[in-house]
Amino acid sequence: MGKQLLLGNEAIGLGLIRSGCRMVTAYPGTPSSEILSSVIRYKTHAPEVVYAEWSANEKVAFETALAASWSGLRAATAMKQVGLNVAADPFFSSAYTGVVGGFVVISCDDPGPHSSQTEQDSRLLAHAAKVPVLDPSTPVEALQMTGFAFELSERFQIPVLLRPTTRLCHSRQSFNSDAVLFPATAGPQARGFHKDPQRWAATPAFRLKLHVELVQKLEAIEQEFETSELNRIQGSFGENGSAPVGVIASGVAFHTALQVLRDFGANIPVLKLGTPYPLPRRLVADFIRRCERVIVLEEPDATIELQIPDRTRVRGRLDGTVPQAGELTPERAAAILAEALDEAGFPVPAPADERLTALVQGMAVPPRRPRLCPGCSHRSAYFAIKRTFGPQAIYPGDIGCYTLGTNLRAMDTCLDMGGSVTMAAGFYHAGRLLGDERPIVATIGDSTFLHAGIVPLANAVHNDARFILVILDNHTTAMTGTQPTLASAVGTDGAAALPASIPDLVRACGVRFVREADPYDQDPFQELLKEAHSFTRAPEGGAAVIIADRPCAIFDPTPIDAHPIPVTVTEECDGCRYCVEAFECPAIVLRPDGSRVDIDLKTCVECGQCIDACYKGFIVPQVELQHA
Amino acid sequence: MPDLQGRIVLAGVGGQGVIFASRLLAEAALAAGAQVMVSESHGMSQRGGSVAAHLIIGDEPGPLIRRGTADTLIALDRLEGLRHLPVLRPGGAVFINAVEGFPEPVRARLDELGVSVCQLDADGEGLRLGSPAIANVVLLGFLAAHTSLGLSLDDLKHAVRGLGPPPAVKINLSALDGGARNANDPDHGHCARLRPSTVALEQASR
Repeated sequence: MGKQLLLGNEAIGLGLIRSGCRMVTAYPGTPSSEILSSVIRYKTHAPEVVYAEWSANEKVAFETALAASWSGLRAATAMKQVGLNVAADPFFSSAYTGVVGGFVVISCDDPGPHSSQTEQDSRLLAHAAKVPVLDPSTPVEALQMTGFAFELSERFQIPVLLRPTTRLCHSRQSFNSDAVLFPATAGPQARGFHKDPQRWAATPAFRLKLHVELVQKLEAIEQEFETSELNRIQGSFGENGSAPVGVIASGVAFHTALQVLRDFGANIPVLKLGTPYPLPRRLVADFIRRCERVIVLEEPDATIELQIPDRTRVRGRLDGTVPQAGELTPERAAAILAEALDEAGFPVPAPADERLTALVQGMAVPPRRPRLCPGCSHRSAYFAIKRTFGPQAIYPGDIGCYTLGTNLRAMDTCLDMGGSVTMAAGFYHAGRLLGDERPIVATIGDSTFLHAGIVPLANAVHNDARFILVILDNHTTAMTGTQPTLASAVGTDGAAALPASIPDLVRACGVRFVREADPYDQDPFQELLKEAHSFTRAPEGGAAVIIADRPCAIFDPTPIDAHPIPVTVTEECDGCRYCVEAFECPAIVLRPDGSRVDIDLKTCVECGQCIDACYKGFIVPQVELQHA
Repeated sequence: MPDLQGRIVLAGVGGQGVIFASRLLAEAALAAGAQVMVSESHGMSQRGGSVAAHLIIGDEPGPLIRRGTADTLIALDRLEGLRHLPVLRPGGAVFINAVEGFPEPVRARLDELGVSVCQLDADGEGLRLGSPAIANVVLLGFLAAHTSLGLSLDDLKHAVRGLGPPPAVKINLSALDGGARNANDPDHGHCARLRPSTVALEQASR
């Protein structure tokens, strides 16, 4: 294959395949999604020996892959950081039971956050679960560490967390794929699941024994990390063997620090830690002893810093030297290092031109927020919901592209996967206590419903919560790159699969009002919403579910292409901005002088949905105008 | 030939092909024997919002470029270009897809900082060539003609051939040529300080 550019997530996928990993499971979530996608691509060379699965959720993914490990196979599961919360139950428990075949958990953190609800640090969760962590700093290092993670996991019979961050997952690095970074191994000889109830089905008495074993494993792993090649010192101490300032860094922050120090021309020692937990405390203490002051640069939280026993000379997140929230950008790293170096008497170059920065900021360039794509069926559904129930109704929402429904003011809450259904029920019961009779209209995507919405719906119906749930069924997991869902007729590999039926699942939860409708049919859809509302208010009624059935315009544009409706804006348009704000299609563009809107033909997909968005009738089909 | 090195930021709006343009430059640099690191935006930020890619050529696994240190800014959108200007170092260059130049006080400060401002209506050139979607590649052709990156037009053409199906390759090759030709056309492309390279213009006319 020679030299090529490798995306961080592809590097991890390649590392899994090269390590002889036999099962990889995942639930998609930015920034982790391309890991399994690349496994599916790479495994085409050996389809019969590697099982890959887009699972219903992270807990399902975790447990499925763990069973492969308990059968003696190398296995891995990939998710984003909040996905590890969903899988936290088996994550903690599997640290006690241990594993047989190497078992690697990949949890991608999102400092920023760029595409997540939280900036949580998976390494801290691993610390709580007592699972060792490897923290790669580049795509190529992630590939290498994947191989090492399996080897470590097998030697100590313990799950290992590989923890990349967004900037690594979504960076492409040049890489010579012919280079042998670690020997391709198939892991130990797998013998299938071997019964051992005192381990695999341990009761609390045996769990204590397993906990003692786990603690011993971690002590041995810490010893090994003291001399691991994954930890090294870059830069140098002074002639007397000490330095006024030193840096401890891990992950992407390590290269950010190196870049800044190189730009500054400052040669100071940097301890690069690839093993943040368990922390090799002797190595770290020795390093700190040789520095007058040490800055800890890590993301997104203070995992390394918290484990340093004596922090007298240490500066980091805990004392506020490093901001406690937000990404550790090169600008932030530069400001932190400049201050420390300046205090230590190093010359520090001036930062970027302040006048240019001030001039540009003074221009007040408006931020460009993300919007639903042209032709998006969610926009039509939200437009109908908003037109039917107005600003007073309570709109619990969920996680996906359709979270952008907040722009259309048809989503009031977005907590976590499946939270729309549970919170709709909670708002209903709370409203009863308060005498608050506002309608409650919750929205959830198809993939999110199948991930975490089914049990909440059964719970809501069983407890007679009254609300409307609109399942925005666009036939795919759109936000993360159109992965199949459980309701898809194709499986992970693209082969035929048995689809779960969303309407049947909804009925099985006890819902008696279940309708499927195309949100593109604006008027009937609004009528259906009113009918559903009546059902929630009728004494013999209950929760009502409408399945808004329309494929994602990116995933499957064929229904739009089969009936294109090119539109135009008439001369009468007065620039009232209603369509711009209430419909917010990227193809409807307000003129800079605000006089009127135009259709941007570059982005318009000719779905015709905006005709309903101008209540004055100024957006019309092109044919109509020609005939007029 | 000295080792290729450079810090390049690409900015635009989701859908304009910022990521593709960064891939193209990265592949060209890779083929020229350089080490490369490209940082992309995925997920929510791709839905019509501001998109930026950072490309570091040389042995510097970044992945982000610090404000005030970029050699080149490639802006597919005027406002995104304006927003990202502070990323440039003094003496750097900005290549921008725009009809209208920067506001006067900004332009004056850029001049004091020795920043070259190279402006082309790449959207217009793309439309002339038959596709509004190729402004990104047009702008790269315009940039290659000024040789400020050490990557020639032929390097980019080679990279284009390696990316995408034949029809896309054909239109992208014409986009590179179209952008490069404008480098010498005072009616379309304007570039303070940087002079187009005759080699690139020859490559464009072939």
